[in-house]
Amino acid sequence: MSLDEAAREAIGNLISGHEVTLFMKGTRQQPQCGFSNTVIQILDSLVTDYQTVDVLADQKLREDIKTYSSWPTIPQLYVGGEFIGGCDIIQELFQNGELAEALGVELPEPGTLAIEISDRAAEQLRAANEQQGGPGRALHLSIDARFQANLFLGPVDGNELVVEANGIELRLDRMSASRAAGLSMDVVDTPQGPGFKIENPNAPQARIGQLSVQGLKALIDTGERFELMDVRTIAERETAHIEGSTLMDDAEASRLEALPKDTRIVFHCHHGPRSQQAAEHFAALGFTNVHNVVGGIDAWSNEIDPSVPKY
Amino acid sequence: MALQILNAGENDPAKVVEDLETRITNAIADAEVSVTAAGPGHFEIRVTAQAFDGLSRVKKQQLVYGAITDLMSGQNAPVHAIDKMECLTP
Repeated sequence: MSLDEAAREAIGNLISGHEVTLFMKGTRQQPQCGFSNTVIQILDSLVTDYQTVDVLADQKLREDIKTYSSWPTIPQLYVGGEFIGGCDIIQELFQNGELAEALGVELPEPGTLAIEISDRAAEQLRAANEQQGGPGRALHLSIDARFQANLFLGPVDGNELVVEANGIELRLDRMSASRAAGLSMDVVDTPQGPGFKIENPNAPQARIGQLSVQGLKALIDTGERFELMDVRTIAERETAHIEGSTLMDDAEASRLEALPKDTRIVFHCHHGPRSQQAAEHFAALGFTNVHNVVGGIDAWSNEIDPSVPKY
Repeated sequence: MALQILNAGENDPAKVVEDLETRITNAIADAEVSVTAAGPGHFEIRVTAQAFDGLSRVKKQQLVYGAITDLMSGQNAPVHAIDKMECLTP
């Protein structure tokens, strides 16, 4: 079966428009098939920014891409315009490190990684290991592409990098190790009890602009285009809202994610913490112009527009 | 409710095996091809060809898949999956 020129060109443009393109069933947020999901998990652990194309949304593309790639199954991954393979091959290349190499992720040499563990953290880790560890199980530290850290006891697969600090052995998979140099770990007291606190100097400094309600008013008055996102619940929004804001839902999140990374996005909630979280999420996705409204709609009602109900 | 009866003439395994062999032989010069049916819609393919020399595993498989895409496309495609594909050089 041959592919018409228009279809060939359209697919070529899709692929050349992005360094990494995944043709899949469903979306990055909601994969609709196990194989697509597996590849999303792998890509998420390696890169923050990649393009996905949902073939379920386009029956013609779903068949065309098979002809274009000479490959009968979905998902299909392209990197730098080159066809890499389907799910099996991607898993294999992930395991042997070649996928990281193709994606330009630098992995550390064994023995060159240094991290710090405080005395209190070491004590907690040792206790956890004694209680829940056992033969073939060990402490692992993973750090995903968004620099979210996770500590867990799990089976040793032999491919991890072993790092020793303060008498504790930690195992990191190769991707996590590439994001861990200089990391420090401590235990701090919180209202919910003691918890691990991990400082990672490799995490991109989330540059969240803190915008006062006066600043927000001034920005609105300039008439410049920007995204004002309300990250509260529907019920809260029905009670009170700031004119010109948009309620954040899944569809809106997807729309924002597809915008240019320098788009100005301002988040607000009731008092500020939820919108700070939303802003950090978008900063971690690579957005460079994100802002949080200090004091939220409550401050807006107090200081700018008393006609907005307080609750 | 009526049950759908697949057209045995078109999707007869022996005929599909023959189709697969013909497509691959026509597409890859001097290829030695052997196809076996491994279940309804499932097949195993072994191809030996000089053309594979120096190619990556993916590129070899792309040569074969490229030759048989039309048998794997659309609803009721005669070929559902290639369970095993061996690409060898003579």
